[in-house]
Amino acid sequence: MEVLELILLILATVLFPGVVFCTYYALFLEWVDRKFFARLQNRVGPWITGPKGILQPIADIIKLLAKEDITPNGVDRAGFVGAPFFALTLALFSLMFVPIASTSGILSFKGDLLIVLFISTVFGIIIIFAGYVSASRFSIVGTARAGLQFVGYEIPLFVSAIIPALIARSLTLKEIVEWQIAHYPLILCFPAMIAFGIFIVCSLAKLEKLPFDIPEAETEIVAGWATEFSGKKLALFRLSTDLKMLLLAGLATALFLGGPAPWGFTLPADLNPYLAALIYSIWFVIKTIIVVLIMSTLKAAFARYRIDQALRGFWRYLTPLSLAILILTPIVAYHFYW
Amino acid sequence: MGILDRMVKWARIRSPWILHFNTGGCNACDIEVLAVLTPRFDVERFGILLKGSPRHADVLVVTGPVTRQVAKRLKRIYYQMPEPKFVMAVGACAVSGGVFRGAYNVHMGLDQVLPVDVYVPGCPPKPEAIIDGVVKLLKKLEEGG
Ligand code: SF4
Repeated sequence: MEVLELILLILATVLFPGVVFCTYYALFLEWVDRKFFARLQNRVGPWITGPKGILQPIADIIKLLAKEDITPNGVDRAGFVGAPFFALTLALFSLMFVPIASTSGILSFKGDLLIVLFISTVFGIIIIFAGYVSASRFSIVGTARAGLQFVGYEIPLFVSAIIPALIARSLTLKEIVEWQIAHYPLILCFPAMIAFGIFIVCSLAKLEKLPFDIPEAETEIVAGWATEFSGKKLALFRLSTDLKMLLLAGLATALFLGGPAPWGFTLPADLNPYLAALIYSIWFVIKTIIVVLIMSTLKAAFARYRIDQALRGFWRYLTPLSLAILILTPIVAYHFYW
Repeated sequence: MGILDRMVKWARIRSPWILHFNTGGCNACDIEVLAVLTPRFDVERFGILLKGSPRHADVLVVTGPVTRQVAKRLKRIYYQMPEPKFVMAVGACAVSGGVFRGAYNVHMGLDQVLPVDVYVPGCPPKPEAIIDGVVKLLKKLEEGG
């Protein structure tokens, strides 16, 4: 019995819903993002690679893996080689906490929401590190911008992710999801829907997507912090960006959209666990795609901000707003939800 | 050819990222190159993306006559690109020097400086011609490897 459980756990970590599933699903989400973004701009987007271009992100990754891998003179060798691996490993590790095929992630313990948020903060630091060790003037400028943006978005992101935890009175993702199954998705609750908006905007900044792609603004500073990375290292960074997008979409799903549970009906408790896992993952896919489509729409609707405009937006509006709803939440929740 | 090689080749043909470099042209060619990327022609359907950094790019798209001053910098950009890399000469100026051919300050075409894979003549070439050039490059890749 114990051996079987161990094998199942290993399968869950490696295959589904672990590393392999997350990698392919993240690449699929990149395709969804690119295609929808292109359609909004009246383009066709990826088209010839696989049906409707669905294999495009995979082709990109394979091509980059097969390219020459240059380590320029003057870089810090260990840091330059290590940074992409760190980024990828941390992204995969944090995805273990996201509830995909059941109400809890593969790893789940008390207070795991804080761990996930902490790891997502480390991503920002890795980007700063990667730009700093590559010792090129464009990377340094990009790094400085990444650092500035990092201090802007991190606080509202954290606070907006804590608000669902306040309403559900738990810092564990599993219990937040179960609270939503027992009651209703948190996006329908008054202060949490504002928090959802803040979370999405800050996720765009974290992913360096369009209105906030200041650190890699290709029209100004070549490719920002990623300028010197080529071949395999660039492939790992691209993959880790996709995984980060999946992580943030998954977190938004778990925190605000009721996790992987279906909307409108609850699964009976005595359902076959494999069937339940299937239904849960289908709903997870639907909800994460919805979140990604919201992000792509915002991407297409806004042009890039200057760094001072972005910082002013974060510090003047989003941070005070998020702190205000942080104070408001317990009052509202005390009267209506607890 | 092993299955791995075939996969790599498949990926290479389907995701050529370009780097656009103007060596001193009159900007008409550049506008046509940009038109290739915008909604009407949209080469992202072939997986082509415009990249800012030579380290990320596969294809160097050069427009304009190669002046003596820019030749050294052009070479430096070329050496910064990771293998395998390809060069496209777009416009009469880049192909042969065009109207500036024979002038004291320009090279007689890009191939005096760099190995060129595809020539796209025209002054400026139409976006269709540039796409045709890209397709020829991809076909060359498919046959030659
Ligand atoms: S080929 Fe013609 S359009 Fe192109 S840069 Fe030369 S002169 Fe200008």
